[in-house]
Amino acid sequence: MNDGNSTLSTAGRSSGLARKSLRSRSVLPLLVGFCAVVVFFVTSSLTGYNKIRSLRDNSQMVAHTHTVIKTLESILSLAKDAETGQRGYLLTGEAAYLEPYSEALKRIEVRVADLERLIVDNPAQLGRVPMLKYHIANKLGELAETIELQRSRGPEAALVVVRSDRGKIFMDALRQNIGEMVAAEEQLRSRRLAESDLAFRTAVWNSIAVSVVGLVLATVITWLLRRVEVAKQRQEWIQSGQLRLAGQLVGEQKVDDLADNALRFLSDYLEAQVGAMYIEKDGAFQRFATYALPTMDKVPERIRLGEGLLGQVAKDGKPVSVDDVPDGYLTIGSAMGQRRPRHLLIVPATVDGSVNAVIEFGFFKRVPSDALELLDRVGESIGVAVRSARYRARVQELLEETQAQSEEVQAQSEELRVSNEELEEQTRALKESQVTMEEQQAALEQTNAQLEQQTKVLAKQKGDLHRATNTLEKQARAVEQASRYKSEFLANMSHELRTPLNSSLILAKLLSDNKGGNLTEEQVKYAQTIQSAGNDLLGLINEVLDLSKVESGHIEVIPEPVEVARLAENLRGMFSPIATQKGVAFRVHVSPKVPESLVTDSQRLEQVLKNLLSNALKFTERGEVTLVIDRAKDGRVTLAVSDTGIGIPPEQQQIIFEPFRQGDGTTNRKYGGTGLGLSISRELVRLLGGEIQLSSEAGKGSVFTVLLPEIYSGAADASSEVVSSGKFETKPVVHEAPTPVRFSSQSAARVIPDDRDRLKGDGRFILIVEDDEPFVHIVADLAHEMSFQCLVATTAEDALTLTRQYLPSAVVLDLGLPDNSGLFVLERLKQDARTRHIPVHVVSASDYTDKALSMGAIGYMLKPVKREQLAQAFEKLELRLTQKLQRVLIVEDNEVQLDSLRLLLGSGGVETVGVLTAGECLEQLKANTFDCMVLDLTLPDASGFSLLETLSTSEQHSFPPVIVYTGRELSASEEQRLRKYSKSIIIKGAKSPERLLDEVTLFLHQVVSELPAEKQDMLEKVRGRDDTLEDRRILLVEDDVRNVFALTSLFEPYGVKLTVARNGREALDALEKSLSTGGAGVDLVLMDLMMPEMDGMTAIREIRKRPVWKKLPIIALTAKAMKNDREQSLDAGANDYLAKPLDVEKLLSLVRVWMPR
Amino acid sequence: MRSATAKTEEIELQLLLEALYQQYHYDFRGYSLASVKRRIAQALVLFKCPSISALQEKLLHEPGMIPQLIAYLTVQVSEMFRDPSYFRALRETVVPHLKTYPSLKVWVAGCSAGEELYSLAILFREEGLESRTIFYATDINAEALKKAEAGIYDLDRVALFTENHRKSGGKTSLSDYYTAAYGGVKFDKSLRERAVFSDHSLVTDSVFAEVHLVSCRNVMIYFNRELQDRAIGLFQDALVRRGFLGLGLKESLHFSAHAGSFTPFALEQRIYQKRGDR
Repeated sequence: MNDGNSTLSTAGRSSGLARKSLRSRSVLPLLVGFCAVVVFFVTSSLTGYNKIRSLRDNSQMVAHTHTVIKTLESILSLAKDAETGQRGYLLTGEAAYLEPYSEALKRIEVRVADLERLIVDNPAQLGRVPMLKYHIANKLGELAETIELQRSRGPEAALVVVRSDRGKIFMDALRQNIGEMVAAEEQLRSRRLAESDLAFRTAVWNSIAVSVVGLVLATVITWLLRRVEVAKQRQEWIQSGQLRLAGQLVGEQKVDDLADNALRFLSDYLEAQVGAMYIEKDGAFQRFATYALPTMDKVPERIRLGEGLLGQVAKDGKPVSVDDVPDGYLTIGSAMGQRRPRHLLIVPATVDGSVNAVIEFGFFKRVPSDALELLDRVGESIGVAVRSARYRARVQELLEETQAQSEEVQAQSEELRVSNEELEEQTRALKESQVTMEEQQAALEQTNAQLEQQTKVLAKQKGDLHRATNTLEKQARAVEQASRYKSEFLANMSHELRTPLNSSLILAKLLSDNKGGNLTEEQVKYAQTIQSAGNDLLGLINEVLDLSKVESGHIEVIPEPVEVARLAENLRGMFSPIATQKGVAFRVHVSPKVPESLVTDSQRLEQVLKNLLSNALKFTERGEVTLVIDRAKDGRVTLAVSDTGIGIPPEQQQIIFEPFRQGDGTTNRKYGGTGLGLSISRELVRLLGGEIQLSSEAGKGSVFTVLLPEIYSGAADASSEVVSSGKFETKPVVHEAPTPVRFSSQSAARVIPDDRDRLKGDGRFILIVEDDEPFVHIVADLAHEMSFQCLVATTAEDALTLTRQYLPSAVVLDLGLPDNSGLFVLERLKQDARTRHIPVHVVSASDYTDKALSMGAIGYMLKPVKREQLAQAFEKLELRLTQKLQRVLIVEDNEVQLDSLRLLLGSGGVETVGVLTAGECLEQLKANTFDCMVLDLTLPDASGFSLLETLSTSEQHSFPPVIVYTGRELSASEEQRLRKYSKSIIIKGAKSPERLLDEVTLFLHQVVSELPAEKQDMLEKVRGRDDTLEDRRILLVEDDVRNVFALTSLFEPYGVKLTVARNGREALDALEKSLSTGGAGVDLVLMDLMMPEMDGMTAIREIRKRPVWKKLPIIALTAKAMKNDREQSLDAGANDYLAKPLDVEKLLSLVRVWMPR
Repeated sequence: MRSATAKTEEIELQLLLEALYQQYHYDFRGYSLASVKRRIAQALVLFKCPSISALQEKLLHEPGMIPQLIAYLTVQVSEMFRDPSYFRALRETVVPHLKTYPSLKVWVAGCSAGEELYSLAILFREEGLESRTIFYATDINAEALKKAEAGIYDLDRVALFTENHRKSGGKTSLSDYYTAAYGGVKFDKSLRERAVFSDHSLVTDSVFAEVHLVSCRNVMIYFNRELQDRAIGLFQDALVRRGFLGLGLKESLHFSAHAGSFTPFALEQRIYQKRGDR
């Protein structure tokens, strides 16, 4: 954990640093730019402000100058006004004209004072003011003088003064003075105007410059901001990569898992097409993970430092990026093969400055630059993670070593204890042995004496043995003689029988001829009956005689040349009439390959052929009987009698050659005959040095082939007669080859039309698996009525294919299909995760209700089925389809318990229904379907056992999987009874709710496949029922529930009746019981060896002790792998042996082999 | 020279084990080499053989000595209620779970002379589970199995047994279950009525029944890792869902290939529970 933390924190720290530096880097130019902008704007506005102020000052100054000029002019005009007033007064002498004068006099003073104030800042002008004042005073003085003179002395005096031109001089001086001042002011004004013009121009340029610079700055800032944003995004991408990678690296991972996770994540994140990760190991770099690399063999497993680009990167610790990789590059030693990525990126992962991993990525597009940075950053985290993983692995190794050492120490201490005990033992033994030694001495002497005595006894026994051997030999001879006596007796006896029989035959013939004509028709018939019965008896006696002769070796073979053509002709002549009479064609064909004559006993050969031909005609009702004489490949002559009669089933082909047997017990009654003919024929042919072969098929006919040597050379070995059933097709008469009845799925599948071509996507459709066309139509019509669309499959194979292809909403399944059992289909559907949920309703003529329901069918109907029943089934399916919730039925008589169970089991997807009595339970199950049922055994109205039994036999109730939940302990037999219906039994107790919840959850999410994979394979191979097993009884002696269940489901589909015993004792009881009930005995025993009470070995010995069971086949099953177990069980009397885990296919073949026919 | 001798010895040892397997089907090849080496060294003294090869020769030609050698190779040492805390944990935490099953099977793998079997039988009787339980006691040592079936132990060991039994939380007196005579005690035969004694090898044989509890104590310590994995694989196959596995106190599932199929149930006492989804 520490390592994980440190990995994380290191990654965090490095990314934090990066963030800080990044911020300063991207913010600095921004800050500088901002400052520059601020400085620029402050400066430019200051400048502008200055300009504007100077402009304003200038204009104020201009206005000021203007005011000054105005003031000067007004002073002048006032002086003129005063002069005008004086002149008027002087002219008129009227005081009224003096008004402007006095007015001007009043105001001129003010004006001058104004002027003085206005030009106070201009010393040059101010310097002119006294002069001005002086001139004004002079002028005014002159005016005042003239006016005074006018007033006082009249106009002449005044005119004198006027004429003196003093006034004019004064006035001119004033004018000049003012003119000077105005000129000075005007000069000042024009200067100021020029100044203001300049200031204005400067201001315009200034503002143009400001806007241009402002624009430039704005652009620059925008650009900067954008750059910061891009950098931020990139940074975020890199950081998120780092964080997510850290997430991948966290936890206690093994090095290769770590490499895999890191590489997969990085390749995804960088959008690389391929990748490979090498981790330092023992000085070189070892490939630990690849990403999307096509062929591994081209990628080097190990790369040394400096070898290829990768090695170089590992050595330098610096990433390398290669763009536009040349096509031939890959051979140089990169890790990339075949696809030729256009760009490569190889980066190291370092920790503490040393490279401990190198990652290579291949891209089709250019390597993103961010990738390099990201990889640069995460290099260290990967390096640290790799190192931590290595440490962890090492710690794990050390821990394991510690564990191993602690175990070793424990072992040693155990051994020490043993040694100690042994030592003590030995000390004791030593003491004892001393005593024993002495005793032994005495004992030895005694033994010596005993030995001598035993030698004597042995000698005596030897004599006894010798005598016994002699007796045995004598007895053997006696037996042989007895056999001969028997045959001779038979021969004589039949002779003795024949004599009186002959006379009675002749007499009966005479009587039936009724030459005297004195017998009634009835009586004649009686006589004829006597005659024919006598003839039969005679035939029988003859055959018995023949057989006994053959057996006792009384028949002598007289070899002579036999002409084949004549033989054929004879037989034709003999059998043609009978054939014609019977309406059967009879042909004799002699192949040109056959020699003209054989050397053999013609009489015996003819007897054999006659027997075969008469048999053939006897058992053939129509068609033809043929005799073909040919030569076999081995040079022998074949005489083949073939017919198109009733044929012989394979299991009877052997027994018909046995004396007194016929093909079928009932055949005898229909066709008559003694059943000796074939055994005699076989014996005769053997005497002639040949054999009889038989090939036949029931219902199609038989071929009996006599194979004889061309030249008789002694009898054949008794054991060599062969009955071959496999040569039926090589027979000369052409029959249709016996093909197994199996439809190919293609031909059969589409025979019955269905909706598959017009399936609507959204529609619900069901699959009808049924080979009986009328029934298919009934079901399909009903389905259409209920608005289901239909698919039809007629074979099991088809059913599976269609189900997988179309995933129908439901399946209606017949069990009797041409190629396989419907149970097989059901089983396969329930085993396939894709089809498991599809509800299956079984319709069948045979009753496998329990089996089908326990395999997951939702319902079962026995044929013939009524329409209403079918409709009900459809409703049930429909209900099932609309039902989303999983439903659990809880049957519990205690209300408090019931409530707590409902609380325990009810959850989001599970609906619980609680009932208190068996009656309510039945009602519920009649009306509804449930996914699972929890059952208490003690109910007020019925026991759980009887409820389960009712359910298993009733067709009206659904029967969900049952979990028995009971407070009482169960006896073994009760448990076994329950196991039939319920796979899970829970006894209430402290920990039972936990288990109950567990089991219910399991039922609701059926994930556990019940059958081992081999079994599925086996079922695939062995299709259909196996008639060697049908209706056979197997006693399974096995105490393991799991095996019992597996074997039951293995054998039951074959129609095997399985009885289970849980130990040797029960097995013996079961066998005993089967004896007492008669008829239904046990055909075969499967015996587990390891069982309580009485083990398998003992049980086998016990069974073999009873003569009745001497031949009972027993197959021993054991978990032991040792050979001697096999020998021991065979010694004990088992017929065969099979080791666990059971190979089901092997078991099936063993059972077939040993199953008595 | 020293290492050459050691190497020769190793080869001899491997050949001996191979011979033992080929000839008698006792497979010790996966046993921890150090332990086997020590045991063989002792056997050499016992059988008076100068070298392992000499022992091998003797072994191949004298089948009669096999039981003796097997007794040597398999360390048969145990006591009743050994490590009482283990049995206390079984009694207090495992038994409540086992009580929910209508019938039970218990596999005592490597039962040695039966001490553990009798301990469990007594414990189960005290807890009222015995009548519905079948015990499978297996070992590869036929002699030990015979001893186990006989149920006779030295009288002087009984004091320890009694002490252990008391410490394990025993509800009855151990003396209720045996009769003492002739310097030994014989445990009541009713205790083994529900027991199946069988020769079974964790090395070569397979699972024989579905069981609810496997107790395999101080057996793994003699196995190498592969063999340990095989044995634990067998237990895993044999156990029902949520069945229990008890190991010796020095043994651990931690490094096993099957560790993921079990969850620690009482880790101190080395009791593991098979996971429900395996």
